[in-house]
Amino acid sequence: MEAQRKFIVPIGPQHPALKEPGHFQFSVEGEIVTGATVRLGYVHRGIEKGAEARNWTQNLYLFERICGICSHVHATALALGAERLAGVEAPPRAQAIRTLMSELERIHSHMLWLGVAAHEGGFETLFMYSWRDREIVMDLLESLSGNRVNYSVNLIGGVKFDVTEKHHDEILKGIEILEERTKHYLKVVTTDRTFLARTRGVGLMTLQQAELFGAVGPTARASGVARDVRIDAPYEAYPQFPVRLVTDDGGDLLARFKVRTRELFESYRLIREILNHMPPGELTTRVPRRIPAGETISRVEAPRGELFYFIKSNGSEKPERIKVRTPSLCNWASVTQVAIGHKLADMPMILSGIDPCFSCNDRMVTINRGSSSQVWTWEELRRYGIEYYRQR
Amino acid sequence: MKIRLGTMFGDIIRSLFRRPATQLYPYERRPTPERLRGNLVWDPSKCTGCQLCIKDCPSDAIELIVLDKVAKKFVLRYHQDRCTYCAQCVVNCRFKCLNMDDQTWELASVNKEPFTVYYGKDEDVAFLLEKMARDNAGESGCPE
Amino acid sequence: MNNLTVHPLIGLLLFPGGLFLLASGLLYEWIDRKLVARFQNRVGPRFIQPLADLVKLLAKEEISPEGVNKPLFFILPVVALAAALTAALYVPMAGFVPAGSFRGDLIITLYLLSVLTLCLGLAGANTISRFAIIGATRTLTQLFSYEAPFLLALLGPAIAAASWQITDVDFYAQQHLWMAVTQPIGFLVALVGLMGKLELPPFDSPEAETEIVAGAMTEYSGRGYALFRLGKNIELVIGLTLVATFYLGGLANPVQFLIKTLGLLVVLAALQSLFARLRIDQTVGLWWRVGALLALAQLLVLFLLR
Repeated sequence: MEAQRKFIVPIGPQHPALKEPGHFQFSVEGEIVTGATVRLGYVHRGIEKGAEARNWTQNLYLFERICGICSHVHATALALGAERLAGVEAPPRAQAIRTLMSELERIHSHMLWLGVAAHEGGFETLFMYSWRDREIVMDLLESLSGNRVNYSVNLIGGVKFDVTEKHHDEILKGIEILEERTKHYLKVVTTDRTFLARTRGVGLMTLQQAELFGAVGPTARASGVARDVRIDAPYEAYPQFPVRLVTDDGGDLLARFKVRTRELFESYRLIREILNHMPPGELTTRVPRRIPAGETISRVEAPRGELFYFIKSNGSEKPERIKVRTPSLCNWASVTQVAIGHKLADMPMILSGIDPCFSCNDRMVTINRGSSSQVWTWEELRRYGIEYYRQR
Repeated sequence: MKIRLGTMFGDIIRSLFRRPATQLYPYERRPTPERLRGNLVWDPSKCTGCQLCIKDCPSDAIELIVLDKVAKKFVLRYHQDRCTYCAQCVVNCRFKCLNMDDQTWELASVNKEPFTVYYGKDEDVAFLLEKMARDNAGESGCPE
Repeated sequence: MNNLTVHPLIGLLLFPGGLFLLASGLLYEWIDRKLVARFQNRVGPRFIQPLADLVKLLAKEEISPEGVNKPLFFILPVVALAAALTAALYVPMAGFVPAGSFRGDLIITLYLLSVLTLCLGLAGANTISRFAIIGATRTLTQLFSYEAPFLLALLGPAIAAASWQITDVDFYAQQHLWMAVTQPIGFLVALVGLMGKLELPPFDSPEAETEIVAGAMTEYSGRGYALFRLGKNIELVIGLTLVATFYLGGLANPVQFLIKTLGLLVVLAALQSLFARLRIDQTVGLWWRVGALLALAQLLVLFLLR
């Protein structure tokens, strides 16, 4: 009965703070949040099941659509896994191009996040400016691949296009402007008094907590967790172009801002290095349409953290099972725990602090087992349904 | 680092004297990049009817209608509204008869009809459309 | 007095009250939006946009949600707008002599301006929507925080002019050096207080859309919402006029009115786009710890110098 006396503020599934549907319940006392629950599953699309009805190539495009922001890494994870099962490896130049796209995508994702987080904090000007400058990298992606969002770079066994001399110059020029702007934004987020008042000490997550909740990606790195798949298990062209780990010990929102902006600099450096040392050679290698039977896992570092694919092939044209675990799903636990004790006004910022992506992680539903819950078998549910419609 | 008020002051003053970054889209159009993946175009002269493009299309956006296999009379029915513009078909085609146009890319219409495009030799398309009209059903008009 | 005069009835219905006030409210809203947009390197709306919004809202169905006191729900926006319109009668709109003027009308005007906020708070508390209730709490909390410093800040010029009548202060201001120069702290507090009053960023936590949708106005739609918005726009014009009258050397004619209020609006728009939204506890802290003390210090100096 205690639960019903609380004052609960629902956020979502339709709410201006959320760009995607998700449901949060914050029980508040005055402005202080005393409890938080998450309910996901509003954008479940049955992608994993859908994968079983499509061939490997088609799945590349299906999985690219799990997330609109980090689309390329999804396709890369699948392509890498499929290539490993087939026992082939994409040529070095293709690997370098994949890496280049991954980093460009990371820039576009982090810039987008910067804007969204600023918007949640009511700093509209930073939002507008960071999104204006994000257009530069969007244009680069478009001129490279021909698409602005789902770039469809990958083929199983390579990539679709080459980076020409013209693109080389274009990217370097764009990166230069972006680096200049990012320096400015780093200064803004670390020195602006009103913004610091909203980020410093808010959403504090210690190293122990981060380990306990299984946080991944920049969210974890902002709490001092030294974990990055690009460093721990380098894939694509990362062995040739090593990444420097970016961490911060702050653990609060400010640290997350710092980590993500400093990761941008790292991406700029990587892109320059890749462009200047682009390995020559082929873009594709032959991969059979039927991938040999077997199981594999494939891990890549998405802009939001570690992306994990389990792939099982039965030797046919179609995969038997593909299981995806996206970084956002790992980070939710931290939100519900960290939120307690903060003010309601901080909730949108804490939510956006992990750079949530709802459609990525909607493959699981958490059921809140209170006293009122009941478990029905399929038969009971069916009978209830028939009864319900008969009465109408 | 020093904490300051109004760190974006320089930005806002500068943009007061600058052109807004907004593009008034329908009135001003940016030139498209060379590689832009716009609508698919099909060149019937080189097609052998191998159907590799259709096999790997992730969204069933293309259909090849065979009118006469021996004489290589094909019509390609392309659904722009289903297409995801991934260019997999362009990669798959060994005879380079598929291409993505960088000029036509706008997809806006009040009904679905303009999104179904027929490619092929004029007489073949005319023949097919006629046959479809005779069969009096949009979908059943494709002889296998 | 060198202000121009108009017939009281015209003053009430057409100019400077009534229609003129509505039009100027919409115009100032547009200028504000456009300026903020330009500060953010955007294009911003066209000049017809505020009017189009208003017409659209007026044409829409007004939904009264379950669980509200219906008469109160419908009367509150009207009272809010009426209060804002009435307040305009005592300020030198467009540099003309106010339609009504008596000793102590400064206090009346300030209270009339607060009625809008009170109505908003009441409107929020009237519904059972959780967003609206939190919004209402915040609106009223904010009201209690900025009201005192804002009042004290406007008191400064009144004390200097030794009158509680707005026209007298106006007259005094025209004769003397701009009081923004002689009482800079008061000017700052008044300007920022105006932003708090209008719930403009960074003081927009009562209607922070990322937290509580539209705050107290969440349940309003159609006509009621339109009236609230219109009331706010008019309050913007009146607030600007008041601050310009008191601190920028009075308003002797329409040209001065335009230049001074628009100048203030540019500053206001810049301030709006410079800061992140303050949490409600931060707003209250800022006003009581900084705003009120500053305004009090200003008053103390004034008393000592007299």
